[in-house]
Amino acid sequence: MANSRVIIIRKKGFLSPNRIPDLNSLIRMFKRGFSLLDKQGDYKIFLRNLLKPDDRIGIKINTLGGKSLSTRPEVPQVLTSLLIESGIPSKNIIIWDRTNRELKIAGYRLNMNKKGVKIFGTDSRGLGYEQDLTSHLNIGSRFSSIQSRIVTASISLAIVKDHGLAGVTAGLKNYFGAIHNPNKYHDSNCNPYIAELFSADSIWKKHRISILDALLIQYHRGPAYHSQWATEYGALIFSLDPVAADFTSWQIIEELRSAKGLPTLKEEGREPVYLKTAEKMELGNASPANINIIREEI
Amino acid sequence: MKRRKFIKLSAVAGTAAGSGLGPLLMDLDAFQTSYDLSRVEAKFYKKHPDREIECVLCPRFCKLGDKERGYCGVRENIDGTYYTLVYGKACAIHVDPIEKKPLFHFLPGTPTLSIATAGCNVNCKFCQNWEISQVRPEQIDHMDFPPDKVVKSAQKYNCPIIAYTYSEPVVFYEYMYDTSLNARKKELKNVVITGGHINPEPLEELIQVVDAIKIDLKAFTQDFYTKYVRGELKPVLDAIKIIASSSIWLEIVYLVIPTLNDNSKELRDMCRWIANEIGPDVPLHFSRFHPHYLLKNLPSTPVSTLEKAADIAGKTGLNYVYIGNVPGHKAENTYCPKCKNIIIQRQGYIIRQFNLKNGRCTYCNSRIPGVWI
Repeated sequence: MANSRVIIIRKKGFLSPNRIPDLNSLIRMFKRGFSLLDKQGDYKIFLRNLLKPDDRIGIKINTLGGKSLSTRPEVPQVLTSLLIESGIPSKNIIIWDRTNRELKIAGYRLNMNKKGVKIFGTDSRGLGYEQDLTSHLNIGSRFSSIQSRIVTASISLAIVKDHGLAGVTAGLKNYFGAIHNPNKYHDSNCNPYIAELFSADSIWKKHRISILDALLIQYHRGPAYHSQWATEYGALIFSLDPVAADFTSWQIIEELRSAKGLPTLKEEGREPVYLKTAEKMELGNASPANINIIREEI
Repeated sequence: MKRRKFIKLSAVAGTAAGSGLGPLLMDLDAFQTSYDLSRVEAKFYKKHPDREIECVLCPRFCKLGDKERGYCGVRENIDGTYYTLVYGKACAIHVDPIEKKPLFHFLPGTPTLSIATAGCNVNCKFCQNWEISQVRPEQIDHMDFPPDKVVKSAQKYNCPIIAYTYSEPVVFYEYMYDTSLNARKKELKNVVITGGHINPEPLEELIQVVDAIKIDLKAFTQDFYTKYVRGELKPVLDAIKIIASSSIWLEIVYLVIPTLNDNSKELRDMCRWIANEIGPDVPLHFSRFHPHYLLKNLPSTPVSTLEKAADIAGKTGLNYVYIGNVPGHKAENTYCPKCKNIIIQRQGYIIRQFNLKNGRCTYCNSRIPGVWI
């Protein structure tokens, strides 16, 4: 597999005291991140190559952690503005997660109108999970109809967290929110389930890019928010390789843990082994030698 | 959701569970479909630092951070306290004959008010009720049906037995326990239809308030439990031993799945284990598999395979061996081990003959183990 590029754009200390990110800084971070993924260094060209104007784009966010530890509303807000600027009609963009309740708690204002960017959960009236099971490798699940039927191109806009079982939860595991029974896939460090779920057609064929909200990272005792083990990292992580993006997130979490004198995830028996599984399944790179990390501060 | 739609959906679920609602839901105007989940503190869990908990109800021992759910999908850690989300939230309510459970030696011919909530603590690839067992409670319509209403409904519809069944009652333990306590006060019986994936302490408490347990022994190898159940065999065997050593009634069902758990050695090993550890009088039902859920690639079990299993069990010395899901088969009947006469003749769930008096064979006066009318 060819080398993968992972972009980390960081701006320290730009979260306000109430942890609302500065929109202008976010715009600059997104533009720079996309530009560094483009051969010509142009974020507009990158987005035009990534997505077609007639795509229905699902931005899968993670709002499981409530107000404190969810994908911050400002992040998809800025992303959608850039998508619209690149020619995607706003009505073709859906920001979504499992439930309307969780979206609202995380600070999102729901919108199911035909016009404008849509924001809703799988539990919205008329949606729900598919009646038919998708049986794939060790997975047997009903997919969110948003992911399976509505969306034609998918962006995983997850947050970066320590996870008590998986070790790390980021862009790949974010898709656990696209099935009806994620609780059935937490055995054995969520391995091979995270990788296998991602390889299901409804996800793998639609996934376009991982963008990870690492503005605030929970580096220990995740996935719930614990203030004493959360740090304002101030970064967005971009990659076309979903495995490399998550692998890089893992390395960042290990750096943060090491700085605080915490044991490694491996020492705690929860190394994210699903990343190696994903690599073996040729979903992406989980070997440092094959990942080219570009770090920039703005 | 309107009540009418719930009834329709329940009827569909009833088909999956092999039952209809009968007249019961015609009179459930008092119950409205509920969207809310319960928040009743779970009985069996440990609190750990940093708002983490460890569930000790079943052998999975789920360790969960704040806002996480257990494998069952119906218990959640909320700010360091573990809650059941399905207390009084029934998603299936039916009147079934006790034979449908199946319990053949427990008050034959008695109607049971059978209830279930969403959720299960394993994930059998052959589950017949996965539409309710493998979903989270918010993904399925349910009704507020608290313990006192369950008991009143059982009385109203002349059901001397309440059955906790269809999905996995272990995951709605608190609801089952409290309902059983209420039922006992009204002299109703309680029966539990379970995979037996439960820890000893909660099981021993449960045994104090119920009257019979039917265990689905899915196979007799850990390999099968790992691949097709996502559970463990040993705790199930331990549960069977605990129940057998108690005063309540026990029956065992073994779903025979072609090529997966039907080889003679495994069947013989299981029958010997039952004979040696439990005794020859526990009824053993070999049930016919039909392709379903994640095992649609296999054919239905040939009747000859079930007969082979029953033959092995008989030769091992088990006295009450049945074949299930084959209506009209002679092995639906109960035979007196001594005189070989038919003492209970069944056709499907219907009893055609009943030749027992005071728990004894009317032909030879042998005592037949069970709980009889």
